[in-house]
Amino acid sequence: MSTIFPKWFNKLPPLILAGVLGGGSAAVAGVWYYATPKFWRVGYMPSQPFLTSDYEDVLYREANPRVPGVTYPGFSHQIHAGKLGMDCRYCHSHVEESPEANIPSASTCMGCHAEGHVDEKFARPAHLRFVRDAWANDESIQWRRVHKLPDYVRNFPHNVHINAGVSCFSCHGNIMEQEVVHQVEPLSMSWCLDCHRNPEPHLVPRDKVTDLYWVRNQFRSTKLLNTASSGLGGLDSGTPGGAALLNGLREHDLHLLPENCGACHY
Amino acid sequence: MSIDQCHSTVGHLPAAKPRETPHELVGANGRAYWRGLDDAADTPEFRDWLEREFPAGASMINGETRRTFLKLMGASVALAGAATIPGCRRPDHKIMAFSREVPEDMVPGKPVYYATSMPLPGGGAEGLLVETHEGRPTKVEGNPNHPINRGKSSLWSQASILELYDPDRLKDPVYVPSGADVPRSWKDFAVWSKQHFARLAERRGDGLVFMVGRKSSPALAVMRSRVEERFPRAKWFFYDAAGADSAIEGSTIAFGKPMRESLRIENADVIVTLDRDLLLHDDGGNALANARGFAARRRVVSGADGMNRLYAVESAWTVTGSKADHRVRLAPSQVGVFAVALARELVRQGLRNAGPLGDAVNRATGAAGIDAAVVSAMAKDLLAQRPGRTLIAAGPTQSAEIHALVHALNNALGNAGSTVHYRPMTGAESMTADEAINGASSALAAGAETIVCIGVNPVYDAPAGAKFGEMFARAKERIVASVGDNETVAAATWKLPLAHFLESWGDTEAADGTLAPIQPMIAPLFGAKGELELLAMLAGEESLDGYEIVRTVYRSRASGADAGANFEGWWRRALHNGVFAQGEAPAAGGLSGVHGGAAGVMGRIAAAMNKWESPRAPGGNSLDVVFALGNVGDGRFANCSWLQELPDPLSKIVWDNAAMISPATAKRLGIEQTDPTDKKQKGRMVRVTVNGASITIAAWAVQGIADDTVVLPLGYGRTVCGHVGTGVGFNVYPISAGRNRRVARGAEVVRTTVGAPWYNISTTQSHGSMEGRAIVREADIAAWAAYGDDPFKGLTAEEKKHLTIDAYGQERQLNFAERMGELAHTPANVNAYDNPQRGLKDAPVIGGPKPTAAASGETGTPPDFAKNPQWGMSIDQTLCTGCNVCTIACQAENNIPVVGKIEVNKGREMHWIRVDRYFTSHDRHDPNPEVAHQPVACVHCENAPCETVCPVNATVHGPEGMNYMVYNRCIGTRYCANNCPYKVRRFNFFDYGVKKFNGDYIGRGAMSAIKADPANVNLIPPRLRERLDEITKLQMNPDVTVRSRGVMEKCSFCVQRVNEARIEAKLKGMEMIPDGMVQSACQQACPTDAIVFGDIYDTKTAYTNADGTKRTGSRVHAMRSSGRTYQLLGYLNTRPRTTHMLAVRNPNPELISAERKRMWDHPFGHGHGGNGKAGAGHAHGPMMFDTDKAEQDAGYRLSLSVLGAHA
Repeated sequence: MSTIFPKWFNKLPPLILAGVLGGGSAAVAGVWYYATPKFWRVGYMPSQPFLTSDYEDVLYREANPRVPGVTYPGFSHQIHAGKLGMDCRYCHSHVEESPEANIPSASTCMGCHAEGHVDEKFARPAHLRFVRDAWANDESIQWRRVHKLPDYVRNFPHNVHINAGVSCFSCHGNIMEQEVVHQVEPLSMSWCLDCHRNPEPHLVPRDKVTDLYWVRNQFRSTKLLNTASSGLGGLDSGTPGGAALLNGLREHDLHLLPENCGACHY
Repeated sequence: MSIDQCHSTVGHLPAAKPRETPHELVGANGRAYWRGLDDAADTPEFRDWLEREFPAGASMINGETRRTFLKLMGASVALAGAATIPGCRRPDHKIMAFSREVPEDMVPGKPVYYATSMPLPGGGAEGLLVETHEGRPTKVEGNPNHPINRGKSSLWSQASILELYDPDRLKDPVYVPSGADVPRSWKDFAVWSKQHFARLAERRGDGLVFMVGRKSSPALAVMRSRVEERFPRAKWFFYDAAGADSAIEGSTIAFGKPMRESLRIENADVIVTLDRDLLLHDDGGNALANARGFAARRRVVSGADGMNRLYAVESAWTVTGSKADHRVRLAPSQVGVFAVALARELVRQGLRNAGPLGDAVNRATGAAGIDAAVVSAMAKDLLAQRPGRTLIAAGPTQSAEIHALVHALNNALGNAGSTVHYRPMTGAESMTADEAINGASSALAAGAETIVCIGVNPVYDAPAGAKFGEMFARAKERIVASVGDNETVAAATWKLPLAHFLESWGDTEAADGTLAPIQPMIAPLFGAKGELELLAMLAGEESLDGYEIVRTVYRSRASGADAGANFEGWWRRALHNGVFAQGEAPAAGGLSGVHGGAAGVMGRIAAAMNKWESPRAPGGNSLDVVFALGNVGDGRFANCSWLQELPDPLSKIVWDNAAMISPATAKRLGIEQTDPTDKKQKGRMVRVTVNGASITIAAWAVQGIADDTVVLPLGYGRTVCGHVGTGVGFNVYPISAGRNRRVARGAEVVRTTVGAPWYNISTTQSHGSMEGRAIVREADIAAWAAYGDDPFKGLTAEEKKHLTIDAYGQERQLNFAERMGELAHTPANVNAYDNPQRGLKDAPVIGGPKPTAAASGETGTPPDFAKNPQWGMSIDQTLCTGCNVCTIACQAENNIPVVGKIEVNKGREMHWIRVDRYFTSHDRHDPNPEVAHQPVACVHCENAPCETVCPVNATVHGPEGMNYMVYNRCIGTRYCANNCPYKVRRFNFFDYGVKKFNGDYIGRGAMSAIKADPANVNLIPPRLRERLDEITKLQMNPDVTVRSRGVMEKCSFCVQRVNEARIEAKLKGMEMIPDGMVQSACQQACPTDAIVFGDIYDTKTAYTNADGTKRTGSRVHAMRSSGRTYQLLGYLNTRPRTTHMLAVRNPNPELISAERKRMWDHPFGHGHGGNGKAGAGHAHGPMMFDTDKAEQDAGYRLSLSVLGAHA
């Protein structure tokens, strides 16, 4: 008999049990952690804009965007929104009136970047070639989409959020410090609902909505923003005036923050 | 073999016996309601069909055998291969911004609306507003500035958007020099035509024939004159195959020149139609205004309100006949006899101003088969009205003499200048189809060598006798410009793509004379050119730009303050508003301006009537034929899948036409309706022969069609059409001939002996039947006048006590409509689902004020409906004409896919709003039943049964009272559809939304190896169908998800529009969404305003109506407060947010039975109805319960005991 089942077989049932339990837990934990927008989506950082390969090669030979401290030769939000302090709405001009924050046309770029407008020392012609080519050929500059909501989210109006006092910062993070824009927040449904259920910490005065440095400092002072990362963390207390803004919103049923399915999915 | 997945419906029910009296058909008022012959017969097949949630086969795998299925799947997997396995990389989504030119008024993400207009076939026009998203038109609405539309729209204008994106449209010019197609460009054509037409111009146009679609357009008339200047001897024909030729000839008899009628139905108290469909397919393009005028006199609010009375004398079913208070069913030839009999009776009863007409109509004899009592009562009714308050209208099946006679009667009754106005027809409008087709045919026979066809399809729709196809082939150069592919294009030497009206410049003249621009919404998609541009090219014009052509026409027409330097401003304003000039106010005084005045008119008509011969009644095997207009018009809309899948309003046939006959005639001719092999209702193939020409078509019996009459819908049986329309139905044009092509006599109908005897016809007629509860409620105006305001007149307090409902835990007395239904006959509501409102002190009452937050309990618990706004809809069945525009508008707005004929047969159609048609009469074999139309969409129950059974919370309630359907949560259990009492949930069985339902499919070659009949695309499993063309996707509304398969969907109350309005209101800092800011798509399109949507608790806001009058509160609140409002299946305690309003009819007291008259005093079923048992039909009688069913069905018994009822 013993030749059929050696003695170590006795250990097999507990081992199998442990294996199943452990494997199961690992699977659950893995899905729990990894199968989330927080893991998959945050940090998505495609180079901008989308360029034809030969052109991109030229730029990449000059600099690698992934290496910190090296100026990226494509479009840099850090230069435009940060260093130059341009208002978001200079380019995303319809964000207050349209559900979509529009991407500027090539003609908007050419307002500054036409030949001779900007010192070539700061804006090198090689880097600007994609703008001038697009303009000359009347073609679109192809941008890569970073923040994308799923197709079944039919309603995310930028205009309403901006007008209610939700800063660009709350969803897009420290754009003014990002050379290449990357996704900072998970944009998951629970993340949306977190804010809709407790909007107070995110509401800033209407005229500060696009003032990203001001907003950043506010969020830091209220410990909403964890200085170690660009993402938003705890929800200690609201911004000054946040409570008042929220009360204003709560005055009318119409302006209440929706938490129902039909607000976004249809 | 069937693979039925629905265990609950299989094998558990004992086979029901067919019964003599179907109790469940008896409605509250003692009348029976049924939906089709099958239903009325109550056959076992129908019962079996009815008792399933989705019909047998709805959950079958395509009705194929398992073996075939495996084969097909194997083939598809092999074909799909590894190529379809997606990559794991996150795909790049590119954003393509504008480059140099940025349209100034375009805000990305926001739709822009542009005004344009649609020329209607045969003349007239509609003014439209087109929604465009980033330059892509997606939805058509009526233009509020246009006097025909007033914001409303028709089937064809709604569907035109799909036609624009039809992938089967002609693309780039093609030259066919010798049998084979050679792709060419417009430049090539320009070079060729310059040479060719220069040669023709030298001969002054000898041997040149133009055939152009008949339409009303001043710019087209100008281009025609340019063409004729260059080619004076060319022949020019305006052609509309389905035009009302006899109306043109009739008005020529009466007025000495062709005149067009423009009706003002709102002024008429009594209307008589003679085979004319005023409300839907009216010739002359005035149907929308007609429907609006008709409805304006039917808005019954309080008991004191009166309404107009409509008599319809007709042979085929039209929606006008279905709305009539009295419908007389006569063969088309006998409708004319009826008209003469009516004229004679009017003269006998003292019609003044008849002049010489009296002698003429007295001379005409023959009134056999005409009910003298009806004629007499009708005449009396007409004469009892004040002069100018009546209207008689004759339709296209009637002869020119009858049209003339009707003009005379209207004149004598004082209607000319009041309810009917006359406008001279333009040259384009006054050419009859017969003239055009025979003229063109004989010109070709005489040796014309070049024919130019623009927007016409004579090779398909010419009568066999004209031999047009043969003559057409004789011409050396056949230049055919067309939007879609068609038979004439197939026979052409030059195939030119014509621009759709949504992508070209032009102008239109509406029925009332309003001039409107056609402006492009998008650049021509397939390198097409507009009609005006093509004609300019042929006329050798210098400017070939459509914009310049139209602008030049209007610059030369502009006068006064609009001319000269001010022209630019005027022009831009006109383009913005979509109207160049309003129709001129019709001249007062009726016929004084007409040649010879009124006396001359009467004299000419009398002279014509003197020659009139009374036609013999049809009989034996010599039947009358009516060529009817259906959803696809004269065939030009055949490639539009929305219109093909739209059920015919009365027969409910989809994807087909059939020879419709009355059941009695079918029986007499031995045309059975049931295939003996499988006991299914099918169409029997018959051969219809008229004057030697014959067609083969399926026959279909429909109650209410005149005996000895065959109704043949036009526009089907296209052979060259595109993926959608090719081979759908039967072409009936070959047997249409003679001076009036809309009618024929002496047809012989025999069963076919060769070929398959049976033909499958798909209908939606009985789908979702509602077991005969008081779903549709109707009352006569007299009953409403007596009881509408006080439904408890004459009752004691004790009796009244029983007539309350328990709404939200509050007792409330029933209103008029509610007293007619189950609520009066069932015990207090007991619902298996708890109502959070029950027992609350200040809980809301239907039609009552908004509940207070305090009353609604804690927030966060089930919806408390205390927030503003609370959405609801009201559907007025008095106003609904059954035209189905709501269905198409909803389809366009909500990206609803089409499924195809076979899928409809399985009950898988996807329409979110359907219009149920019930036949109603005291006798269910009544050859001439009345009809009730009832639009049903999701009613958004406050106590929704679907929500409680969804295992994944995919259908949930919103705080504003909407029942949301969350597609991304849905896992497709279909429990919700099983539990929905209204049968309004639609399941996407296959990827209908992203697949072509008809067309090429994956592995056509492999398929033909397996299947014997690879050509029948309807048999291709939807899963193998090809994906939608990219171009079709352009039509999709970006604000609504395109649903994938395995997902339930249903009416969303147009939540995307509600959210859009909420955003607008928020941005403007408004405190509420004012009434009218949100219109659901169905409401916006509805020509009679039968559908109203809004905030049901908006009771205090002051509004100003469009006509300047004031009102307080929302319209939907007013509707819900009416005594006519009731809830569908309200006794189930579902609390629908969509309420229906009882239909009111206005019958002539002289023409109704004594029994029906008794109902006026006892409208609530006292002494009527019930199932024949003692006490049935009274307040607590069990009339709504089916005792037979209770014996057989344990589940039904249980339901009754839950309701506390004992059957």
